[in-house]
Amino acid sequence: MDFEYTPSELMAVAGARELHDRQIVAVGLGLPVVASFLAKQTHAPNMTILFELGVVDPEPIHPGVGLADPRVWYRAKQLSSFVDILGTILHKGLVDVGFLGGLETDQYGNLNTTLVGDPHGKFRHMIGSGGANDIASCARSTIIIMRHEARKLKQAISFVTSPGYITGGDSRMQAGLHGGPYRVITDKAIFGFHPETKQMMLLSIHPGNTLEDVLETMGFAPVVPEHLPFTEPPAEEQIHLIREVIDPQRMYMG
Amino acid sequence: MNKVTSLTDAVASISSGAHVALSGFAITRCAMAFAREVIRQGLTGLTISQCVGAMDADLLVGAGAVKRLIYGGGSLDRFGRLSSVNRGIEDGSLIAEEYSSLSVAFRYLAGSLGLPFLPIRSLRGSDLLSQIQERTPGDVALISDPFTGDSWLALKPLCPDVSVVQVQIADEDGNAWILGPKWDNAEQVRASQRTIVITEKIVSSEVIRQNPERTAIPGLLVSHVVELPFAAHPTSVYREYDYDAEQIGCYVEATRTPESLQQFLIETVFSVKDHWEYLEKMGGMRRLNSLRADPILGY
Repeated sequence: MDFEYTPSELMAVAGARELHDRQIVAVGLGLPVVASFLAKQTHAPNMTILFELGVVDPEPIHPGVGLADPRVWYRAKQLSSFVDILGTILHKGLVDVGFLGGLETDQYGNLNTTLVGDPHGKFRHMIGSGGANDIASCARSTIIIMRHEARKLKQAISFVTSPGYITGGDSRMQAGLHGGPYRVITDKAIFGFHPETKQMMLLSIHPGNTLEDVLETMGFAPVVPEHLPFTEPPAEEQIHLIREVIDPQRMYMG
Repeated sequence: MNKVTSLTDAVASISSGAHVALSGFAITRCAMAFAREVIRQGLTGLTISQCVGAMDADLLVGAGAVKRLIYGGGSLDRFGRLSSVNRGIEDGSLIAEEYSSLSVAFRYLAGSLGLPFLPIRSLRGSDLLSQIQERTPGDVALISDPFTGDSWLALKPLCPDVSVVQVQIADEDGNAWILGPKWDNAEQVRASQRTIVITEKIVSSEVIRQNPERTAIPGLLVSHVVELPFAAHPTSVYREYDYDAEQIGCYVEATRTPESLQQFLIETVFSVKDHWEYLEKMGGMRRLNSLRADPILGY
Protein backbone atom coordinates (compact mmCIF):
# COMPACT_ATOMS: atom_id res chain seq x y z
CA MET A 1 0.00 0.00 0.00
CA ASP A 2 1.47 3.35 -1.00
CA PHE A 3 -0.79 5.77 0.85
CA GLU A 4 -1.51 6.57 4.47
CA TYR A 5 -4.86 6.90 6.21
CA THR A 6 -5.95 7.85 9.71
CA PRO A 7 -8.06 5.71 12.09
CA SER A 8 -10.97 8.17 11.63
CA GLU A 9 -10.80 7.78 7.88
CA LEU A 10 -10.86 4.01 8.22
CA MET A 11 -13.93 4.30 10.48
CA ALA A 12 -15.73 6.42 7.90
CA VAL A 13 -14.83 3.99 5.12
CA ALA A 14 -15.90 0.96 7.19
CA GLY A 15 -19.17 2.75 7.94
CA ALA A 16 -19.74 3.52 4.28
CA ARG A 17 -19.16 -0.14 3.34
CA GLU A 18 -22.04 -1.21 5.59
CA LEU A 19 -24.47 0.92 3.58
CA HIS A 20 -26.04 -0.38 0.39
CA ASP A 21 -27.55 1.11 -2.71
CA ARG A 22 -31.28 1.98 -2.52
CA GLN A 23 -31.31 1.89 1.28
CA ILE A 24 -32.99 4.63 3.30
CA VAL A 25 -30.56 5.85 5.91
CA ALA A 26 -31.26 8.18 8.85
CA VAL A 27 -28.04 9.94 9.72
CA GLY A 28 -26.95 11.49 13.02
CA LEU A 29 -24.26 14.08 13.67
CA GLY A 30 -20.53 13.71 13.02
CA LEU A 31 -18.75 10.75 11.42
CA PRO A 32 -22.02 9.15 10.20
CA VAL A 33 -22.43 12.16 7.90
CA VAL A 34 -19.02 11.52 6.30
CA ALA A 35 -19.62 7.77 5.99
CA SER A 36 -23.04 8.28 4.39
CA PHE A 37 -21.88 10.82 1.84
CA LEU A 38 -18.92 8.58 1.04
CA ALA A 39 -21.22 5.60 0.38
CA LYS A 40 -23.49 7.77 -1.74
CA GLN A 41 -20.59 9.06 -3.84
CA THR A 42 -19.14 5.59 -4.39
CA HIS A 43 -21.10 2.32 -4.35
CA ALA A 44 -24.56 3.53 -3.22
CA PRO A 45 -25.63 6.37 -5.54
CA ASN A 46 -29.35 5.60 -5.09
CA MET A 47 -29.25 5.53 -1.32
CA THR A 48 -31.50 8.10 0.40
CA ILE A 49 -29.98 10.16 3.21
CA LEU A 50 -32.35 11.61 5.80
CA PHE A 51 -31.62 14.28 8.42
CA GLU A 52 -34.13 14.41 11.26
CA LEU A 53 -35.08 18.10 11.00
CA GLY A 54 -36.62 17.56 7.57
CA VAL A 55 -33.91 17.05 4.94
CA VAL A 56 -34.24 14.40 2.23
CA ASP A 57 -31.27 13.39 0.10
CA PRO A 58 -29.10 16.53 0.07
CA GLU A 59 -26.01 16.96 -2.10
CA PRO A 60 -23.80 19.40 -0.18
CA ILE A 61 -20.86 21.02 -1.88
CA HIS A 62 -19.56 22.73 1.26
CA PRO A 63 -19.00 21.02 4.63
CA GLY A 64 -21.34 22.19 7.40
CA VAL A 65 -20.90 22.59 11.14
CA GLY A 66 -23.82 20.24 11.84
CA LEU A 67 -27.39 19.41 10.86
CA ALA A 68 -28.51 23.01 11.53
CA ASP A 69 -26.13 24.34 8.86
CA PRO A 70 -27.91 25.07 5.54
CA ARG A 71 -24.70 23.88 3.83
CA VAL A 72 -25.75 20.27 4.52
CA TRP A 73 -29.29 20.88 3.18
CA TYR A 74 -28.05 21.98 -0.23
CA ARG A 75 -29.80 20.42 -3.25
CA ALA A 76 -32.11 18.33 -1.05
CA LYS A 77 -35.03 16.67 -2.84
CA GLN A 78 -37.38 17.77 -0.09
CA LEU A 79 -37.20 20.03 2.94
CA SER A 80 -39.89 19.11 5.47
CA SER A 81 -40.16 18.42 9.21
CA PHE A 82 -39.60 16.08 12.16
CA VAL A 83 -43.08 14.62 11.79
CA ASP A 84 -42.37 13.96 8.11
CA ILE A 85 -38.89 12.42 8.48
CA LEU A 86 -38.94 10.86 11.94
CA GLY A 87 -42.69 10.22 11.81
CA THR A 88 -43.96 9.20 8.37
CA ILE A 89 -40.68 7.62 7.25
CA LEU A 90 -38.83 6.44 10.38
CA HIS A 91 -41.69 5.72 12.82
CA LYS A 92 -43.64 3.99 10.06
CA GLY A 93 -40.73 1.56 9.63
CA LEU A 94 -39.26 2.63 6.30
CA VAL A 95 -35.72 3.42 7.47
CA ASP A 96 -33.31 0.56 6.70
CA VAL A 97 -30.34 1.88 8.64
CA GLY A 98 -30.01 4.39 11.45
CA PHE A 99 -26.46 5.65 11.69
CA LEU A 100 -25.44 7.01 15.09
CA GLY A 101 -22.45 8.24 17.04
CA GLY A 102 -22.32 8.39 20.82
CA LEU A 103 -20.42 9.06 24.01
CA GLU A 104 -20.68 5.57 25.49
CA THR A 105 -22.02 2.15 24.58
CA ASP A 106 -22.23 -1.15 26.45
CA GLN A 107 -22.04 -4.79 25.35
CA TYR A 108 -25.68 -4.69 24.17
CA GLY A 109 -25.24 -1.59 22.04
CA ASN A 110 -27.23 0.71 24.32
CA LEU A 111 -26.11 4.27 23.62
CA ASN A 112 -25.52 7.20 25.93
CA THR A 113 -25.45 10.78 24.65
CA THR A 114 -27.09 12.35 27.72
CA LEU A 115 -24.74 12.56 30.68
CA VAL A 116 -21.53 11.28 32.24
CA GLY A 117 -21.50 10.47 35.94
CA ASP A 118 -24.27 9.53 38.34
CA PRO A 119 -27.72 10.71 37.16
CA HIS A 120 -28.84 10.93 40.80
CA GLY A 121 -25.62 12.50 42.04
CA LYS A 122 -22.83 14.43 40.37
CA PHE A 123 -22.84 14.36 36.58
CA ARG A 124 -22.01 16.36 33.46
CA HIS A 125 -24.90 16.84 31.09
CA MET A 126 -24.01 16.54 27.42
CA ILE A 127 -26.28 16.65 24.36
CA GLY A 128 -29.23 14.35 25.03
CA SER A 129 -31.14 12.45 22.38
CA GLY A 130 -32.17 14.66 19.51
CA GLY A 131 -33.44 12.08 17.04
CA ALA A 132 -31.05 9.37 18.29
CA ASN A 133 -33.56 7.64 20.57
CA ASP A 134 -36.19 7.71 17.81
CA ILE A 135 -33.74 6.29 15.28
CA ALA A 136 -32.47 3.57 17.66
CA SER A 137 -36.07 2.65 18.52
CA CYS A 138 -37.64 2.68 15.07
CA ALA A 139 -35.01 1.92 12.38
CA ARG A 140 -34.82 -1.63 11.00
CA SER A 141 -31.17 -1.70 12.06
CA THR A 142 -28.63 0.70 13.51
CA ILE A 143 -24.92 1.19 13.01
CA ILE A 144 -22.98 2.78 15.85
CA ILE A 145 -19.71 4.53 15.20
CA MET A 146 -17.40 5.68 18.01
CA ARG A 147 -13.81 5.80 19.26
CA HIS A 148 -12.35 2.64 20.75
CA GLU A 149 -11.57 3.60 24.34
CA ALA A 150 -12.29 1.92 27.67
CA ARG A 151 -14.19 5.01 28.80
CA LYS A 152 -16.51 4.75 25.79
CA LEU A 153 -16.98 0.96 25.50
CA LYS A 154 -18.15 0.27 29.04
CA GLN A 155 -19.59 -2.52 31.15
CA ALA A 156 -22.18 -0.09 32.52
CA ILE A 157 -23.01 3.21 30.86
CA SER A 158 -24.19 6.25 32.83
CA PHE A 159 -27.52 6.63 31.01
CA VAL A 160 -29.37 4.75 28.27
CA THR A 161 -30.43 7.49 25.88
CA SER A 162 -31.03 5.17 22.93
CA PRO A 163 -31.80 1.50 23.46
CA GLY A 164 -29.80 -1.27 21.83
CA TYR A 165 -30.54 -4.82 22.96
CA ILE A 166 -31.23 -3.42 26.47
CA THR A 167 -30.22 -6.34 28.77
CA GLY A 168 -29.63 -8.83 25.96
CA GLY A 169 -31.58 -11.89 24.83
CA ASP A 170 -35.13 -10.93 23.85
CA SER A 171 -35.36 -7.91 26.19
CA ARG A 172 -35.58 -5.50 23.24
CA MET A 173 -38.58 -7.41 21.85
CA GLN A 174 -40.13 -7.41 25.33
CA ALA A 175 -39.89 -3.62 25.37
CA GLY A 176 -41.95 -3.52 22.19
CA LEU A 177 -39.05 -2.69 19.85
CA HIS A 178 -37.96 -4.37 16.62
CA GLY A 179 -34.65 -3.87 14.82
CA GLY A 180 -31.62 -3.13 16.95
CA PRO A 181 -27.90 -2.48 16.52
CA TYR A 182 -26.29 -4.29 13.62
CA ARG A 183 -22.70 -3.04 13.67
CA VAL A 184 -20.43 -1.10 16.00
CA ILE A 185 -17.50 0.49 14.20
CA THR A 186 -14.55 1.81 16.20
CA ASP A 187 -11.07 2.96 15.21
CA LYS A 188 -9.68 -0.48 16.12
CA ALA A 189 -12.34 -3.00 15.09
CA ILE A 190 -15.79 -3.84 13.72
CA PHE A 191 -18.33 -5.64 15.91
CA GLY A 192 -21.64 -7.35 15.27
CA PHE A 193 -23.99 -8.91 17.84
CA HIS A 194 -24.41 -12.55 18.88
CA PRO A 195 -27.69 -13.81 17.40
CA GLU A 196 -28.93 -15.32 20.69
CA THR A 197 -27.38 -13.43 23.61
CA LYS A 198 -27.18 -10.11 21.68
CA GLN A 199 -23.73 -9.48 23.15
CA MET A 200 -21.27 -7.51 21.08
CA MET A 201 -19.16 -9.81 18.94
CA LEU A 202 -15.87 -9.04 17.19
CA LEU A 203 -16.09 -9.36 13.41
CA SER A 204 -12.78 -7.90 12.26
CA ILE A 205 -9.76 -6.00 13.56
CA HIS A 206 -8.36 -3.01 11.70
CA PRO A 207 -4.87 -3.51 10.19
CA GLY A 208 -2.09 -2.55 12.62
CA ASN A 209 -4.00 -3.64 15.75
CA THR A 210 -3.78 -6.87 17.74
CA LEU A 211 -6.58 -8.75 19.50
CA GLU A 212 -4.94 -8.02 22.85
CA ASP A 213 -4.85 -4.31 22.07
CA VAL A 214 -8.54 -4.33 21.06
CA LEU A 215 -9.63 -6.21 24.21
CA GLU A 216 -7.45 -4.22 26.62
CA THR A 217 -8.93 -0.92 25.52
CA MET A 218 -12.55 -1.82 26.17
CA GLY A 219 -14.52 -2.12 29.39
CA PHE A 220 -16.26 -5.43 28.66
CA ALA A 221 -15.36 -8.70 26.99
CA PRO A 222 -16.96 -9.11 23.56
CA VAL A 223 -17.64 -12.50 22.01
CA VAL A 224 -14.50 -13.44 20.06
CA PRO A 225 -15.02 -15.86 17.17
CA GLU A 226 -12.42 -18.43 16.18
CA HIS A 227 -11.78 -16.88 12.82
CA LEU A 228 -11.00 -13.18 13.07
CA PRO A 229 -9.98 -11.40 9.86
CA PHE A 230 -8.45 -7.97 9.42
CA THR A 231 -10.73 -5.18 8.23
CA GLU A 232 -10.28 -4.37 4.57
CA PRO A 233 -8.19 -1.17 4.35
CA PRO A 234 -9.66 1.89 2.59
CA ALA A 235 -9.25 2.30 -1.13
CA GLU A 236 -7.28 5.29 -2.36
CA GLU A 237 -10.38 6.74 -4.04
CA GLN A 238 -12.33 6.66 -0.77
CA ILE A 239 -9.58 8.52 1.11
CA HIS A 240 -9.32 11.02 -1.73
CA LEU A 241 -13.09 11.70 -1.59
CA ILE A 242 -13.05 12.19 2.19
CA ARG A 243 -10.10 14.59 2.09
CA GLU A 244 -10.84 16.56 -1.05
CA VAL A 245 -14.62 16.52 -1.39
CA ILE A 246 -16.54 15.50 1.73
CA ASP A 247 -14.50 16.96 4.58
CA PRO A 248 -11.70 19.14 3.18
CA GLN A 249 -11.66 21.32 6.30
CA ARG A 250 -11.37 18.20 8.49
CA MET A 251 -14.37 19.20 10.58
CA TYR A 252 -15.45 15.63 11.21
CA MET A 253 -12.21 13.75 10.72
CA GLY A 254 -10.34 15.62 13.49
CA MET B 1 -57.20 44.44 14.63
CA ASN B 2 -53.71 45.55 13.72
CA LYS B 3 -51.31 42.71 14.52
CA VAL B 4 -48.15 44.52 13.46
CA THR B 5 -46.38 45.64 16.64
CA SER B 6 -42.98 46.44 18.02
CA LEU B 7 -40.92 43.67 19.58
CA THR B 8 -41.37 45.46 22.91
CA ASP B 9 -45.15 45.19 22.71
CA ALA B 10 -45.10 41.59 21.50
CA VAL B 11 -42.92 40.56 24.45
CA ALA B 12 -45.08 42.61 26.82
CA SER B 13 -48.05 40.43 25.83
CA ILE B 14 -46.36 37.49 27.60
CA SER B 15 -46.47 37.11 31.37
CA SER B 16 -43.80 35.70 33.63
CA GLY B 17 -44.42 31.99 34.16
CA ALA B 18 -45.94 31.45 30.69
CA HIS B 19 -45.15 28.43 28.52
CA VAL B 20 -43.37 29.70 25.40
CA ALA B 21 -42.43 27.46 22.45
CA LEU B 22 -39.41 28.69 20.47
CA SER B 23 -38.69 28.10 16.79
CA GLY B 24 -34.91 27.57 16.92
CA PHE B 25 -32.99 24.41 16.03
CA ALA B 26 -29.40 24.46 17.37
CA ILE B 27 -28.00 27.51 15.53
CA THR B 28 -30.64 28.21 12.94
CA ARG B 29 -33.84 30.29 12.89
CA CYS B 30 -33.56 30.97 16.62
CA ALA B 31 -35.78 33.64 18.18
CA MET B 32 -32.73 35.60 19.33
CA ALA B 33 -33.98 39.20 19.23
CA PHE B 34 -37.07 37.96 21.07
CA ALA B 35 -34.94 36.24 23.73
CA ARG B 36 -32.85 39.40 24.24
CA GLU B 37 -36.02 41.50 24.68
CA VAL B 38 -37.48 38.97 27.16
CA ILE B 39 -34.29 39.34 29.19
CA ARG B 40 -34.44 43.14 28.95
CA GLN B 41 -38.05 43.16 30.17
CA GLY B 42 -37.12 40.85 33.03
CA LEU B 43 -39.61 38.01 32.51
CA THR B 44 -38.97 35.06 34.81
CA GLY B 45 -40.24 31.58 35.58
CA LEU B 46 -40.90 30.73 31.93
CA THR B 47 -41.47 27.23 30.64
CA ILE B 48 -39.67 26.87 27.31
CA SER B 49 -40.30 24.03 24.88
CA GLN B 50 -38.82 23.00 21.53
CA CYS B 51 -37.97 19.63 19.96
CA VAL B 52 -34.24 20.29 19.81
CA GLY B 53 -32.71 22.74 22.27
CA ALA B 54 -31.24 25.79 20.56
CA MET B 55 -29.34 29.01 21.21
CA ASP B 56 -32.55 31.00 21.93
CA ALA B 57 -33.45 28.68 24.83
CA ASP B 58 -29.85 28.55 26.10
CA LEU B 59 -29.57 32.35 26.25
CA LEU B 60 -32.86 32.62 28.16
CA VAL B 61 -31.80 29.90 30.60
CA GLY B 62 -28.41 31.57 31.10
CA ALA B 63 -30.15 34.87 31.89
CA GLY B 64 -32.29 33.21 34.55
CA ALA B 65 -35.62 33.68 32.74
CA VAL B 66 -36.49 29.99 32.59
CA LYS B 67 -37.81 27.68 35.28
CA ARG B 68 -38.58 24.63 33.16
CA LEU B 69 -37.35 23.33 29.80
CA ILE B 70 -39.21 20.66 27.83
CA TYR B 71 -36.96 19.49 25.01
CA GLY B 72 -35.41 16.58 23.16
CA GLY B 73 -31.76 17.38 23.86
CA GLY B 74 -29.70 19.83 21.83
CA SER B 75 -26.41 21.55 21.09
CA LEU B 76 -24.87 24.44 19.18
CA ASP B 77 -23.63 21.96 16.55
CA ARG B 78 -19.82 22.05 16.25
CA PHE B 79 -19.67 25.29 18.24
CA GLY B 80 -20.40 23.44 21.46
CA ARG B 81 -23.03 22.33 23.91
CA LEU B 82 -25.93 24.24 25.43
CA SER B 83 -23.73 25.27 28.34
CA SER B 84 -26.33 27.31 30.22
CA VAL B 85 -28.95 24.57 29.92
CA ASN B 86 -26.42 21.95 30.98
CA ARG B 87 -25.25 24.02 33.94
CA GLY B 88 -28.86 24.52 35.05
CA ILE B 89 -29.53 20.78 34.83
CA GLU B 90 -26.31 19.94 36.68
CA ASP B 91 -26.85 22.37 39.58
CA GLY B 92 -30.59 21.72 39.77
CA SER B 93 -31.64 25.32 39.07
CA LEU B 94 -33.40 24.28 35.83
CA ILE B 95 -36.19 21.71 35.69
CA ALA B 96 -35.52 19.76 32.51
CA GLU B 97 -38.07 17.41 31.02
CA GLU B 98 -35.99 15.53 28.52
CA TYR B 99 -37.43 13.62 25.57
CA SER B 100 -36.35 12.79 22.02
CA SER B 101 -36.99 14.97 18.95
CA LEU B 102 -39.95 12.92 17.74
CA SER B 103 -41.59 12.49 21.14
CA VAL B 104 -41.73 16.27 21.63
CA ALA B 105 -42.95 16.63 18.03
CA PHE B 106 -45.69 14.03 18.71
CA ARG B 107 -46.72 15.88 21.89
CA TYR B 108 -47.10 19.07 19.81
CA LEU B 109 -48.86 17.07 17.08
CA ALA B 110 -51.36 15.66 19.58
CA GLY B 111 -51.99 19.21 20.80
CA SER B 112 -52.31 20.53 17.25
CA LEU B 113 -54.96 17.91 16.41
CA GLY B 114 -56.87 18.32 19.64
CA LEU B 115 -56.24 14.66 20.46
CA PRO B 116 -56.11 13.44 24.06
CA PHE B 117 -52.84 11.54 23.50
CA LEU B 118 -50.64 10.04 20.79
CA PRO B 119 -48.93 6.63 20.97
CA ILE B 120 -45.24 6.38 20.04
CA ARG B 121 -42.65 3.66 19.58
CA SER B 122 -39.75 5.81 20.84
CA LEU B 123 -38.49 6.16 24.44
CA ARG B 124 -39.32 2.60 25.54
CA GLY B 125 -36.47 0.64 27.11
CA SER B 126 -34.50 3.86 27.70
CA ASP B 127 -33.52 5.86 30.78
CA LEU B 128 -35.22 8.84 29.14
CA LEU B 129 -38.53 7.09 29.79
CA SER B 130 -37.67 6.04 33.36
CA GLN B 131 -36.62 9.63 34.07
CA ILE B 132 -39.92 10.99 32.69
CA GLN B 133 -41.91 8.39 34.66
CA GLU B 134 -40.05 9.46 37.79
CA ARG B 135 -40.30 13.25 37.32
CA THR B 136 -43.54 13.86 35.41
CA PRO B 137 -45.46 10.57 35.54
CA GLY B 138 -48.64 12.31 34.40
CA ASP B 139 -47.21 13.03 30.92
CA VAL B 140 -46.80 9.43 29.74
CA ALA B 141 -48.77 6.19 30.12
CA LEU B 142 -48.54 2.62 28.90
CA ILE B 143 -51.75 1.70 27.11
CA SER B 144 -52.98 -1.20 25.02
CA ASP B 145 -54.05 -0.88 21.41
CA PRO B 146 -57.87 -1.29 21.47
CA PHE B 147 -57.73 -3.24 18.18
CA THR B 148 -54.77 -5.59 18.63
CA GLY B 149 -54.06 -5.47 22.36
CA ASP B 150 -50.41 -4.47 21.72
CA SER B 151 -48.78 -2.32 24.35
CA TRP B 152 -47.92 1.29 23.46
CA LEU B 153 -46.48 4.34 25.15
CA ALA B 154 -48.97 7.22 25.09
CA LEU B 155 -47.79 10.84 25.20
CA LYS B 156 -49.81 13.69 26.62
CA PRO B 157 -50.35 16.70 24.31
CA LEU B 158 -48.03 19.66 24.77
CA CYS B 159 -49.93 22.95 24.41
CA PRO B 160 -47.81 26.09 24.89
CA ASP B 161 -49.41 29.43 25.76
CA VAL B 162 -47.60 31.03 22.87
CA SER B 163 -45.27 30.05 20.03
CA VAL B 164 -42.61 32.51 18.94
CA VAL B 165 -41.52 31.75 15.40
CA GLN B 166 -38.76 33.35 13.37
CA VAL B 167 -39.70 33.37 9.67
CA GLN B 168 -38.41 34.84 6.42
CA ILE B 169 -41.57 36.51 5.12
CA ALA B 170 -45.03 37.36 6.45
CA ASP B 171 -47.86 39.74 5.66
CA GLU B 172 -49.51 42.10 8.15
CA ASP B 173 -52.03 39.45 9.13
CA GLY B 174 -49.26 36.99 10.04
CA ASN B 175 -49.59 34.64 7.07
CA ALA B 176 -46.00 33.46 7.15
CA TRP B 177 -43.61 31.57 4.90
CA ILE B 178 -40.97 29.36 6.43
CA LEU B 179 -38.39 28.53 3.76
CA GLY B 180 -36.23 25.46 4.28
CA PRO B 181 -36.91 22.65 6.76
CA LYS B 182 -39.51 23.49 9.38
CA TRP B 183 -38.53 20.88 12.04
CA ASP B 184 -41.25 21.23 14.73
CA ASN B 185 -42.56 24.71 13.90
CA ALA B 186 -45.81 23.78 12.10
CA GLU B 187 -47.04 21.48 14.89
CA GLN B 188 -45.69 23.79 17.61
CA VAL B 189 -47.69 26.74 16.28
CA ARG B 190 -50.88 24.69 15.92
CA ALA B 191 -50.56 23.24 19.42
CA SER B 192 -50.19 26.72 20.95
CA GLN B 193 -52.96 29.06 22.00
CA ARG B 194 -51.49 31.82 19.84
CA THR B 195 -48.38 32.68 17.87
CA ILE B 196 -46.02 35.64 17.64
CA VAL B 197 -44.42 35.83 14.19
CA ILE B 198 -41.06 37.55 13.95
CA THR B 199 -40.36 38.16 10.30
CA GLU B 200 -37.32 39.42 8.44
CA LYS B 201 -39.69 41.28 6.16
CA ILE B 202 -43.38 42.21 5.92
CA VAL B 203 -44.78 41.92 2.41
CA SER B 204 -48.19 42.70 0.97
CA SER B 205 -50.84 39.99 1.12
CA GLU B 206 -50.67 39.90 -2.67
CA VAL B 207 -47.15 38.40 -2.42
CA ILE B 208 -48.47 35.67 -0.10
CA ARG B 209 -51.48 35.00 -2.34
CA GLN B 210 -49.23 34.46 -5.36
CA ASN B 211 -47.50 31.45 -3.72
CA PRO B 212 -49.85 30.41 -0.91
CA GLU B 213 -48.41 26.86 -0.87
CA ARG B 214 -45.37 28.33 0.89
CA THR B 215 -47.48 29.54 3.83
CA ALA B 216 -46.45 27.51 6.88
CA ILE B 217 -48.42 29.57 9.39
CA PRO B 218 -51.87 30.92 8.55
CA GLY B 219 -52.57 34.37 9.97
CA LEU B 220 -55.65 33.12 11.81
CA LEU B 221 -53.31 31.56 14.42
CA VAL B 222 -51.21 34.70 14.85
CA SER B 223 -51.63 37.41 17.50
CA HIS B 224 -48.58 39.62 16.78
CA VAL B 225 -46.39 40.29 13.75
CA VAL B 226 -43.01 41.88 14.34
CA GLU B 227 -40.85 42.99 11.41
CA LEU B 228 -37.19 42.93 12.33
CA PRO B 229 -34.23 42.23 10.03
CA PHE B 230 -31.46 39.95 11.30
CA ALA B 231 -33.69 39.03 14.26
CA ALA B 232 -32.13 35.55 14.45
CA HIS B 233 -28.55 36.90 14.60
CA PRO B 234 -26.08 35.32 15.39
CA THR B 235 -27.95 32.21 14.16
CA SER B 236 -28.83 31.67 10.50
CA VAL B 237 -32.01 32.17 8.51
CA TYR B 238 -32.08 30.02 5.37
CA ARG B 239 -32.01 32.10 2.17
CA GLU B 240 -31.57 35.32 4.22
CA TYR B 241 -28.25 35.15 6.08
CA ASP B 242 -25.60 32.78 7.40
CA TYR B 243 -24.80 32.19 11.05
CA ASP B 244 -22.20 34.59 12.50
CA ALA B 245 -19.48 32.14 13.53
CA GLU B 246 -17.48 34.82 15.29
CA GLN B 247 -20.38 35.91 17.51
CA ILE B 248 -21.51 32.35 18.28
CA GLY B 249 -17.89 31.72 19.27
CA CYS B 250 -18.02 34.73 21.62
CA TYR B 251 -21.20 33.36 23.18
CA VAL B 252 -19.67 29.90 23.69
CA GLU B 253 -16.65 31.53 25.35
CA ALA B 254 -18.93 33.64 27.54
CA THR B 255 -20.96 30.66 28.77
CA ARG B 256 -17.89 29.10 30.40
CA THR B 257 -18.71 30.74 33.74
CA PRO B 258 -21.82 32.50 35.11
CA GLU B 259 -19.69 35.63 35.59
CA SER B 260 -18.46 35.82 31.99
CA LEU B 261 -22.02 35.17 30.80
CA GLN B 262 -23.27 38.06 32.94
CA GLN B 263 -20.66 40.30 31.31
CA PHE B 264 -21.79 39.08 27.88
CA LEU B 265 -25.42 39.88 28.75
CA ILE B 266 -24.46 43.38 29.88
CA GLU B 267 -22.65 44.01 26.60
CA THR B 268 -25.13 42.49 24.15
CA VAL B 269 -28.50 42.81 25.93
CA PHE B 270 -28.67 45.26 28.83
CA SER B 271 -26.42 48.00 27.44
CA VAL B 272 -28.30 48.18 24.13
CA LYS B 273 -31.72 49.75 24.13
CA ASP B 274 -33.21 47.72 21.29
CA HIS B 275 -32.52 45.39 18.38
CA TRP B 276 -31.30 48.25 16.13
CA GLU B 277 -28.66 49.26 18.61
CA TYR B 278 -27.70 45.60 18.98
CA LEU B 279 -27.15 45.32 15.21
CA GLU B 280 -24.96 48.44 15.27
CA LYS B 281 -22.94 46.95 18.08
CA MET B 282 -22.48 43.73 16.10
CA GLY B 283 -20.81 45.69 13.31
CA GLY B 284 -23.77 47.30 11.56
CA MET B 285 -24.52 46.98 7.85
CA ARG B 286 -20.91 46.33 6.88
CA ARG B 287 -20.73 43.20 9.03
CA LEU B 288 -24.33 42.04 8.50
CA ASN B 289 -24.10 42.41 4.75
CA SER B 290 -21.17 39.99 4.71
CA LEU B 291 -23.49 37.34 6.19
CA ARG B 292 -26.12 37.71 3.41
CA ALA B 293 -27.10 34.41 1.83
CA ASP B 294 -26.31 33.55 -1.75
CA PRO B 295 -29.68 33.16 -3.52
CA ILE B 296 -28.72 29.84 -5.12
CA LEU B 297 -26.94 28.26 -2.16
CA GLY B 298 -29.35 29.61 0.47
CA TYR B 299 -26.47 30.35 2.90
